[in-house]
Amino acid sequence: MNEENPLWASESFWKKVAIWVTAGSFLILVVLTFDSLSQTEVGGKRVQAYSVINKKIDYVYKEDLHKFMPVIGETELLFGKEFTEEEAEKLVTLGKKTTQAKNCMNCHTLLGNGAYFAPDLTKAWLDKGWLSKELREDLMIKFLLDPENNARTFGSNRKMPNLHITPEEAKGVVAFLKWMSSIDTNGFPYNFKTIYATEE
Amino acid sequence: MNAKELCGVANAKLDAFVTWTALDRSNLSDGRKLAVNYFIVAVILFFAQLLFGMIAATQFIFPNFLYGFLDFSVNRMVHINAMVVWMLYGFIGCTYWLLEDESQTEIVGLKFGKLAFWVLTIAVAIVVLVYLFIQIGAGNDTTLWLINEGREYIEAPRWADIGIVAVVLTFFYNVVATFSKGKWSGIAGVLTLDLVALAGLYLAGMFYMTNITHEQFWWWWVIHLWVEATWEVLVGVIMAWSLMKLLGVRRKIVTTWLYIEVALMFGSGILGLGHHYFWIGTPEYWLTIGGFFSALEPIPLVAMVVHAVYDSGSHAFKNGNHPALAWVIAHAFGNFFGAGVWGFMHTLPQINLYTHGTQWSASHGHLAFFGAYATINIAFFYLAIQHWRGDVWMSGNAQNAWRWKWALGLLNVGVVGMTIALLIAGYEQSFIERAVEGSTWSGYFTAQNHPSFQSAMVWRWFFGLMTFAGLILLIWDLLTIGKGETRKMAIVVAERGAGCVSFLSECDHTH
Amino acid sequence: MIQPVAMQDFFITFFSSALIILAGASYALLFAWSKVNENFRIKIASYVSYIVLIIAVVLLTRAANFTGYWLSLSVVMVVGYFFAPIGIWHLCVKTHVETSTTLEEKL
Ligand code: HEM
Ligand code: HEM
Ligand SMILES: [Fe+2]
Repeated sequence: MNEENPLWASESFWKKVAIWVTAGSFLILVVLTFDSLSQTEVGGKRVQAYSVINKKIDYVYKEDLHKFMPVIGETELLFGKEFTEEEAEKLVTLGKKTTQAKNCMNCHTLLGNGAYFAPDLTKAWLDKGWLSKELREDLMIKFLLDPENNARTFGSNRKMPNLHITPEEAKGVVAFLKWMSSIDTNGFPYNFKTIYATEE
Repeated sequence: MNAKELCGVANAKLDAFVTWTALDRSNLSDGRKLAVNYFIVAVILFFAQLLFGMIAATQFIFPNFLYGFLDFSVNRMVHINAMVVWMLYGFIGCTYWLLEDESQTEIVGLKFGKLAFWVLTIAVAIVVLVYLFIQIGAGNDTTLWLINEGREYIEAPRWADIGIVAVVLTFFYNVVATFSKGKWSGIAGVLTLDLVALAGLYLAGMFYMTNITHEQFWWWWVIHLWVEATWEVLVGVIMAWSLMKLLGVRRKIVTTWLYIEVALMFGSGILGLGHHYFWIGTPEYWLTIGGFFSALEPIPLVAMVVHAVYDSGSHAFKNGNHPALAWVIAHAFGNFFGAGVWGFMHTLPQINLYTHGTQWSASHGHLAFFGAYATINIAFFYLAIQHWRGDVWMSGNAQNAWRWKWALGLLNVGVVGMTIALLIAGYEQSFIERAVEGSTWSGYFTAQNHPSFQSAMVWRWFFGLMTFAGLILLIWDLLTIGKGETRKMAIVVAERGAGCVSFLSECDHTH
Repeated sequence: MIQPVAMQDFFITFFSSALIILAGASYALLFAWSKVNENFRIKIASYVSYIVLIIAVVLLTRAANFTGYWLSLSVVMVVGYFFAPIGIWHLCVKTHVETSTTLEEKL
């Protein structure tokens, strides 16, 4: 039983392989991370500037890509106001912090991540559940301020609890949702028809 | 009765309880006394995890249950946070458990280790109380610092994040200083580097970002690179050490295999991260990278199973702790099915487009976390309790063996049952909500209201109850197993007559 | 670029994905077993597992609409999952070769 174990089955060989494979994979990940972060900078092609909340956001199906792509359209003001990039950033930031402080992600999904007790918020701004683009803002604000009494539970009996969101925070959340709905998510969710598609 | 009397009564009850368990701490070395502290808190948090899981599952069936008082979001947060924290407690406990044995010296900086344990435990208690009684705050930084960061799995507020980092640094100091004083080994090296990576990753999840694509990018660094890379390797370390002790496998072999595992695990898992970057706004090349590398992720799991079978076949397959061995076997299967099979089924972007963010993910999450990480921790709890009782007999015809067998059965059947129920729900949801309805809100609710979904939620509840019953039995068994047992543990002799390689006994120090 | 699975192919996609991993593991275990136990039937069983794996890969390739470079994933699975178990087996054997007889090494 005293044959040597060959190099490729030896401890020192695998130690080196482990180190090189780990370092190599990690290095590739770091490079890709830099690239991805720069491609998804706010104001780029994939993640829009915050002032996109001044615009109409819609999706069209691209046959060759097999997916829906965001299209940023003409002016469509939010709360009847044109926001500068700084104002928009401030409002979206308030909204984002509110979604974290109220723990939205432990009932809903955002970009598909989170909990599965309530609908996905990724394209919530564009959902046809808000009936029409004229009613949408008001309905959303009302709902956020008093979800218990404005709940449309679609027959599920599940109601969002009152999270004591202030009117200003509610505006922030709506702005955040509008901004998030413009992110190019590679076609997720599949075959999503926006409020505009159903209106026409 | 005033507060003082109440305290007195509580103390007396606690004393009576401790006397009843009849566990003798003098059987444990200092490092292991600290380890069992971690194990005790881990079990308590495991209990909390399932309790709140049951409440959340009830709310799927009766949405008005505790509505406005303990909402789903709160219960779910406690459910998954308790899970992450109890598993980390378990891993820290395992590390303290093997530290002195592996380094062949006494633990260095015990005082600080103990202090760190209490600081961490008090911090965890405060965080949970705040989750339960304050729950949410205004949309500003104060909330993120003091109440809750609102990010799944790592909700802990920032003050606690910083506390955790401080505690983990102390833990590192214990580990590194002890190995440096005693001796380093391949296992010690991998363990230390892996802990550095595990803790370093946590930092990636500590920052606020308005850009949600960036935020989720880093969030997945923590979650994915924990469970599919650093935690797997940590388990590899624990298994390597256990294989030496449990089956008497030679050190050279387990170390070589540990390196093989590290290479395969990190080689597939690090870039496998791509399977979370399909739909969060990140570039399209992740579809390819995520798809390819996660197709490789099952390979290390298969390698591990084959090697474990080979080892147990080529070594004297006798062992001194049947419950622990049974849970190690459950780990091998659970890891393979939960991560390997269930993971691969929904990982290709062509199908993940529909399953993403549905009960499908929950099905996979339950089987993988339980199968890979709950099992191995439970195995260690049994090792610890055996030693704590003074190396008593825990092999064939032990007293009350039905308890551990039933606990094993109930927990495993319960989780598998939940997994199947969630799989059915997830299938239906990805089909109706995602594929047919195009993921609108009304599509979401159409899927939720569908009879097959509704009955799946009821089945999940019943299997959850079974799981919960299994845990209660497990706790009872851990408290009583080996009590009054007078026979000593069976000694395992390695196949090549390596002498006294008994499972977790001290005799290996004598060489 | 991907072409998403068609609705009627959901089941076959899940099923064939699971089958790839299960058949791969079964092939690996049976292959190892057939080496320990020189039994013809075990050997046959291990190759049957591998054939099942190939069929599952073909099913998945069609259901998940692999075209272009995605086809290389199918090739990687067919070739990789054939050789990986053989490699794992040889590693098991060769790492267990006795290289030293000192007590120190054994512990
Ligand atoms: C022990 C190891 C593993 C654990 C504990 C684990 C756990 C989880 C959990 C909890 C989630 C849900 C995350 C969320 O809340 O959104 C998840 C998602 C996911 N896992 Fe795993 N996993 C493991 C291994 C794997 C492996 C090996 C694969 C692939 C082969 C995989 C593929 C995925 C994918 C694709 C998702 C995303 C699901 C979605 O799109 O919603 N996982 N995993
Ligand atoms: C009494 C048994 C249990 C019940 C009733 C239960 C119930 C639940 C519920 C209702 C959710 C929320 C899912 C959603 O958002 O729709 C959940 C999530 C989760 N549970 Fe459990 N659970 C139980 C046991 C466990 C165990 C034993 C583990 C792992 C060790 C576990 C790990 C998880 C994970 C990782 C998630 C997040 C999944 C995801 O986001 O994809 N649970 N559980
Ligand atoms: Fe992952």
